[in-house]
Amino acid sequence: MTGTYTRRGFLGLSAAAVAAGLAACTGGGTAPAPAGQGGTTGPASNDLRWFDYESGESLERLKEQIVKFDAQAGTTTTVDSLPGSGAAVYPDKLRTELLGGKGPDVWRIWGGQIGAPFVKAKQAMDLTPYYQKFGWDSRINTEAIEGMTFEGVKAGVPFTARGIGAWYNKALFEKAGITAEPASYAELEEANEKILAAGTTPLGTGGKYGWHIMRLYEYLLETSAGPELHDKLLTGQESWDRPEVVTAFTNFKKWQDKKWIAEGALGLDPTDVEPQYVQGKNAYTIVGQWTEPEQIQTAKKDSADFGVFQLPTGHTPQRHSGFVEGYMINVKSGNPDKSAELIDFIVQPETQKALKVGSSAVAGAEPDPKESPLSYEWSQGPGKQPFYTIQDQAFPKKVADQYFSIQSDLLQGKITPEEAAKQMQAAVSAWAKG
Amino acid sequence: MGTATLEAPAVDSAVVRRRRRRDGGLQAWLFALPALAVYVIFLVYPALTSVWFSFTDWDGLSPTYNVVGLENYIQMPKDPVVIQAMINNIIWTVVTIFFPVVIGLALAMLLNGKVRGKPVLRLIFYAPAVLPLVAIASIWGWLYNPEYGAINAFLRMIGLGSLAQPWLGQDSTALAAVMVPGIWLRVGFPMLLYLAALQGINQEMYEAATVDGATKSQQFWHITMPSLKPAHYIVLALSLIDSFKVFDLIYAMTYGGPGTATQVMGTWMYFNVFQYYQAGYGTAIAVVITVIAIAVSIPYVRSQTKEHAV
Repeated sequence: MTGTYTRRGFLGLSAAAVAAGLAACTGGGTAPAPAGQGGTTGPASNDLRWFDYESGESLERLKEQIVKFDAQAGTTTTVDSLPGSGAAVYPDKLRTELLGGKGPDVWRIWGGQIGAPFVKAKQAMDLTPYYQKFGWDSRINTEAIEGMTFEGVKAGVPFTARGIGAWYNKALFEKAGITAEPASYAELEEANEKILAAGTTPLGTGGKYGWHIMRLYEYLLETSAGPELHDKLLTGQESWDRPEVVTAFTNFKKWQDKKWIAEGALGLDPTDVEPQYVQGKNAYTIVGQWTEPEQIQTAKKDSADFGVFQLPTGHTPQRHSGFVEGYMINVKSGNPDKSAELIDFIVQPETQKALKVGSSAVAGAEPDPKESPLSYEWSQGPGKQPFYTIQDQAFPKKVADQYFSIQSDLLQGKITPEEAAKQMQAAVSAWAKG
Repeated sequence: MGTATLEAPAVDSAVVRRRRRRDGGLQAWLFALPALAVYVIFLVYPALTSVWFSFTDWDGLSPTYNVVGLENYIQMPKDPVVIQAMINNIIWTVVTIFFPVVIGLALAMLLNGKVRGKPVLRLIFYAPAVLPLVAIASIWGWLYNPEYGAINAFLRMIGLGSLAQPWLGQDSTALAAVMVPGIWLRVGFPMLLYLAALQGINQEMYEAATVDGATKSQQFWHITMPSLKPAHYIVLALSLIDSFKVFDLIYAMTYGGPGTATQVMGTWMYFNVFQYYQAGYGTAIAVVITVIAIAVSIPYVRSQTKEHAV
């Protein structure tokens, strides 16, 4: 056999050889542009970039406060925002920016499993020295700080610990003949029936992205399982293949079958659905205090026409779902000291009030009862109750998506509540085992 | 100033030919260099880097990773979502090629005839192709809204309320519901190409065929269709590649859901790389998509090469 090689053939063979080599070799390596090697060597830059997901008037308020900081600190801070996408998209954009090189100096992020990857990958700075310098431990809610502490590393500064409840349209409740806020799960079901009979879909929720409709299921799980078991389920310490979980899935399906949520809610976008209680298309939605400035006040409606109550679970303590949000500093920030100063400025009580943060984690920054009466009402009542970790922060994204997929299959009648419980156990136990 | 006559050196003609060829080749490479550099930096290098990462367990964020050989590729057939995504890709590709091509050809023939307001009609038919996909996704998302959407409202208005569906909210209709705007926005491209090709067909062939007694149908199948062969190649090859790497419309309209019902390879790759912190596995999916896209475009490239060779 003659050994004549064409150039094309040679290139092909070379490529094959390289591929075979790649396939065969084992070992480790270094990513091409890994942010996160710690600190900068050049002179500190006074140009900062802030990345957020705030929107509308809230974003304008944030920009106003940052301009104030710039004026006193001699910095120039650019504010970028990616509003409306929720935890499904924003972290991707952030990650892409970080991988692209520098990324923002400061970014806003949710706690739990959403913020954790940035710390694990050493993209976010350990802020312990700044906690000491600025005394954040004594000024910020301890539970909230825990939500921004990842395997012992204080990598984020929380500014809010948000609780989720039922925000409702008083006119639609009255129209349905509901005279008092539901105080038990049975009363909530009764209220749903009355609202439906009055011609309105009771709960506004949307299953696109999974996390919005999840708020209903996690409430049903808290109701059927109770606080202690619910917490253990979220960490994989107890099996999901149990009657309490099956009950929650059964009730979840019931909400759809009874038309207490919109038909086809699985395909609805949360950004379209959430304001519908303000528009009078749904009687209520499950949301946090941000709805008052973002949806009620933006629509130029009077807060007095709406109300808020904690979804009744029948357990003590009466808990609701909640989550923490805070700020992280890029380890590659051109000026981490100024970035920390900026965060400190933002978590001052006066700034928090100016930002109208309805559920601030900062002491002395309670909502103004005149400007945000419903947020104030929540903060003085249910807001003081403990909360359980919202489920898309309790699980890594992949497990959360498996969970959303199970919810989807259940609501479409493709699986039974018993099968849903078994599938959840398989997904959570695989993750818990690491 | 005097003149001098240079005596041509006696050089072997073969050497001259080689030198000319070499110099000409070098010159060609120099001209191509800027474009080549851009191509290598922005396409070849990232592509090769992706191939490399497909052999690792990189999470997409950390500075380090481990090489795992072919593990990511071995895992792929075991991943039920990959199988589902591949099936969805095939369905998507067949449907979003067949209908736009047939509708595009029909519209092109309509516009090639004696129709009033051709420029306006051409603009109307092509307009969806230039709309931002996110805008298209939003528009169709509202149309499909189960409670307030125009489609269900229309069905109820004409007494077909029983056909009203949660179009994007159930597995059985979600993919088809996304394919409708996919078809709608893809009609304009084949229409324009076919229209240009139709205008290039010699009208004398039709006249001769008419004289010979050929029917309109016979003229279509024996004159029009063979004359459109080059356009068919371009339309089919580009549509095939475009359809197989679909991402944006599905991502914006259903986010791959409900559950994983509308996942395609492109979105599943994205979920793994950007959301699940499995960049190694995600890039392996990307490599597979690329290989398939290259494989399906080979007939087109070969046909083009043959034509140029002729």
